[in-house]
Amino acid sequence: MTVSLLSVMFTAVISQNIVLSQYQGICPFLGVSKKMSSAAGMGFAVIFVMAVSSVFCWLVYNYILLPLGIDYLYTMAFILVIASLVQMLEMAIKRLSPTLYSALGVYLPLITTNCAILGTANSAIVFSSYNFVYTFCVSVATGVGFLLAICLLAGIRLKTDRADIPKCFKGFPITLITAAIMALAFAGFSGILAG
Amino acid sequence: MGEQVIQILLAGGVMLAIALVFGAFLVICAHFFTVRRDERINQVEDLLAKSNCGGCGRAGCAQFAEALVKGEAKLSDCRATPQANKEKIAELLGGGEIGEETVAVVHCNGGHSCYDKYDYQGYGDCASCELIAGGVKACPVGCIGKKTCVGVCPTGALAVGDGGYACVDKEKCISCGACIADCPKKIIGRIPKSAKVYIACSNHGKGKEVMELCSHGCIGCGICAKNCPAGAITMKEGLPEIDYAKCVGCRVCVQKCPRKCIKEH
Repeated sequence: MTVSLLSVMFTAVISQNIVLSQYQGICPFLGVSKKMSSAAGMGFAVIFVMAVSSVFCWLVYNYILLPLGIDYLYTMAFILVIASLVQMLEMAIKRLSPTLYSALGVYLPLITTNCAILGTANSAIVFSSYNFVYTFCVSVATGVGFLLAICLLAGIRLKTDRADIPKCFKGFPITLITAAIMALAFAGFSGILAG
Repeated sequence: MGEQVIQILLAGGVMLAIALVFGAFLVICAHFFTVRRDERINQVEDLLAKSNCGGCGRAGCAQFAEALVKGEAKLSDCRATPQANKEKIAELLGGGEIGEETVAVVHCNGGHSCYDKYDYQGYGDCASCELIAGGVKACPVGCIGKKTCVGVCPTGALAVGDGGYACVDKEKCISCGACIADCPKKIIGRIPKSAKVYIACSNHGKGKEVMELCSHGCIGCGICAKNCPAGAITMKEGLPEIDYAKCVGCRVCVQKCPRKCIKEH
């Protein structure tokens, strides 16, 4: 049980990385990776929201949608849950922890529309039908994978911004190429835990 | 047929119920978690320039507004906000120094008239050029003209013209100080927006030294100071200094300067 949980988490962080091998959450991945500090802020905010939202989505799916036989509505239900949850979280954090709010606050509304959150909930709860603990751990691991990817890209972008690269590649072209090479590199992990 | 209708109603009903529950939660949360903050913060923020230039040393206008209301910042720290709005803010907060409206100027008009020490063919801007023997210009305080200031200006007020030195467009300049901080030569300064003339050279050197470097450099002859009818110009360490409180804007200094380094603003 623990071994397979660990392997599932490892897969979520590295070999099935949400950004680099599943191509979800590309928007914030490219948009918020200009500075290391904001990249890290975004990454932690994603981990946080992913963990909380997948827990609620699991509850809604397994205790409301499945028993009533309307599980085909899961996408709509998850969008509903995630959007209102992020709103609620933002209000709660603003009141309860101003420090956390000033660190994550800017990114919270952005995350509402981050497809990675919905994608993780879909794949963990519906497609893989994980149990509660698995769902929670896998979502945290997926968030960590996002943090890893966005911080790596931010680090590389700090270098490419100051490097002498051809003018036509400056800015987004070189970033997209960088992301592509990173995806190739992460693809190298794909065989590790196949068995 | 009846079963299908029930199915449809069930699906719609459940989604509606979930939405209602979450909506109710949101309303309750909004009620319990509202952060009471000074109304004046929003009013002040609306009056600020909202350029988020960071010239005041805060992250943005929202933070500056908060600091203003709390009394942690001075209104004069913000240079981007128009005077009229500042007066309103001062009224709102019950007093406070407004500060004079200023713009940035480049104290150099050398550019191509200043000799190059070497031929710079590398990558980058003034900051990278400055790393090699203190920049390409013979004058230690001559504008390199490689556009570091142009790159940092949030409003696009700076441009390197035909002369090869940077110029500020005073209509666009919000005096945030980004260029002043980033210029490796430290030759950008602030003058009042109402100023008519400014000194376009920063070299304190002796006449002969400057002459060898640049055909537009100030040689410290003092003609401007002698001819100023208002007595607004004094010589300090080989460079004229204009007291803008006294300057009447007659532009005699601009005409008399033999090196053409006092310029109209």
